[in-house]
Amino acid sequence: MKKLVLSVIGADRPGIVAAVSAILFENRCNIEDVSQTLLQTAFAGIFIITLAEGLAPDVLESRLRQGLESRGLHFHLEPLEAAGGPGAGGAEPFVVTTMGSDRLGLVAGVTGVMARYGVNITGLKAVFRGGDDPMRNVMIYEVDVPSDVDRRAFREALHKEADALGLDLSIQHRDIFESIHRV
Amino acid sequence: MLTQREVLSTLEMLKNEHLDVRTVTLGISLLDCSSHDPGHFMDRVREKIWRLAGHLVDACDEVGEKYGIPVVNKRIAVSPIAVAGAPLSSRDMVEAARTLDESAARVRVDFIGGFSALVEKGMTPGDRALIEAVPEAMAVTERVCTSVNVASTRAGINMGAVYLMGRTLKAAAEKTADADGLGCAKICVFANIPQDIPFMAGAYLGVGEPDAVINVGVSGPGVVRKAIDRARRADPNLDLGRLSEIIKRTAFKVTRVGELIGREVADKLGVDFGVVDLSLAPTPNVGDSVGEIFQSLGLESIGVPGSTAALALINDAVKKGGAFASSYVGGLSGAFIPVSEDLNISKAAETGLLSLEKLEALTSVCSVGLDMVALPGDTTAETLAAVIADEMAIGVINKKTTATRLIPVPGKKAGDRARFGGLLGESVIIPVRDAGGSDAFVRLGGRIPAPIQSLVN
Repeated sequence: MKKLVLSVIGADRPGIVAAVSAILFENRCNIEDVSQTLLQTAFAGIFIITLAEGLAPDVLESRLRQGLESRGLHFHLEPLEAAGGPGAGGAEPFVVTTMGSDRLGLVAGVTGVMARYGVNITGLKAVFRGGDDPMRNVMIYEVDVPSDVDRRAFREALHKEADALGLDLSIQHRDIFESIHRV
Repeated sequence: MLTQREVLSTLEMLKNEHLDVRTVTLGISLLDCSSHDPGHFMDRVREKIWRLAGHLVDACDEVGEKYGIPVVNKRIAVSPIAVAGAPLSSRDMVEAARTLDESAARVRVDFIGGFSALVEKGMTPGDRALIEAVPEAMAVTERVCTSVNVASTRAGINMGAVYLMGRTLKAAAEKTADADGLGCAKICVFANIPQDIPFMAGAYLGVGEPDAVINVGVSGPGVVRKAIDRARRADPNLDLGRLSEIIKRTAFKVTRVGELIGREVADKLGVDFGVVDLSLAPTPNVGDSVGEIFQSLGLESIGVPGSTAALALINDAVKKGGAFASSYVGGLSGAFIPVSEDLNISKAAETGLLSLEKLEALTSVCSVGLDMVALPGDTTAETLAAVIADEMAIGVINKKTTATRLIPVPGKKAGDRARFGGLLGESVIIPVRDAGGSDAFVRLGGRIPAPIQSLVN
């Protein structure tokens, strides 16, 4: 079965997921995974689907266009690629948290270090609401650090970048949060 | 995906509430080092401590860094030297203490416990030699800690040993007179001593324990206090039942940290993981105090009426939360109320709200006992022994651990200040009422028989 990735974006309102899934249902496409998120007023959803037997991707695409564009939604449909995650050595999950006054380049600076070390971001929440109140400008990255990365060097590089950006940064293995908060 | 609250509340505990792992203590059995030749014994001790503990500090630092949780103290607890070194003379025992001290320094730990004897029912020549060596050993070493178990619920109270410890404290204080009797800050007298305490000065490795084992002491008075404060701010009508629930949940979190870190350090060192000790252990820092929790529960200060009930609540809630969080719980497991090591408790003693008698009452509902209590320098060996005997009786009758760490500060009187430095802190010297009125009782000696286990009132 051919797997496709469908991403949908637009102004949030009731009925978006219903509209997308109704089209998929009518075309006998199975939803394997779905995740949606809301940022302020913007909706974004990503669906991993398996295409119905005998249905061509461009046919589905035109039916999605008919159903979604009239609702002001943009979408993109493409084949699912194989995972490009860490190498054979595996990776360990860490959580990087920063706090500090808002300014341009915070996300770019921190993620630049991660990219340089081949560290993959698996989850990111960043909220900048507080202006100069550091506690209200928070970035929380969940990352996979490949086992062959020198952790101490990565940690030091992150702290150096954070110092330059005026951020208070910490990096901790994910298990500590699981241990403390979950039974 | 973790929630923002889960991540941020953990960081808050770490950054502003002094959440840490107070101690990771490596227990090392020295029973296989035993020899009639003192030199041979000490060589084996040196070799074994270096072999097992050489990487302890690095392993703790590495694990602490990985999880972002500091392991504040790394320590070693060894088999009771009175047993492992039973053939040694008193002079050799002092040398054994020096050997432990040097070994501790070599592996970079700040304290090593186990210069200990278990004498609740009687003494062997090894026990006598060790206790005789204690004053000198505490004066010539920096890192070595002594514990002597003089009572148990099954054996009763060895009053001869209690009196001997009274005299030993006097001698130890005199030998370290220039440091306010600091030697006594490293001497604990116990009833029902546990075999797996990670905290100093009481830590030793019991004879029923493995060859090497990691025991962990968590902390968290600051975390508990802040959790109570937050909850009361959010809902000023919370009653004590609900506040107990808050403490329980907080103790769960704190204990999970200790369990995670202890297991990983044990794995790294290739030794067994023993227990988490669920004690609230304060330090002489603002915001890291057990005494402040009393104030958060609505009392003016530890020591005022209501303090014993509050402490009973705190202690029980910590145990309930902690027991659920860890597979193996042991050690002392209860709130500590060390006077000089807790700024807030030390202040309560200074203002007179906390007396020796109230401290004794508090110890009936918590671990550990009369801990880091500075007494006037002219307190006699007999009075010290009588104070110890009272504390031992509380432990023996209530089937719990109690201990004393009493410091008769040479040349100083009630109201003066004693300064011990570092984690041991400082405190006002507390008066002992009716000093001298117990001499005849203490001199009677013998053993107070083990208590009946039924008719429990």
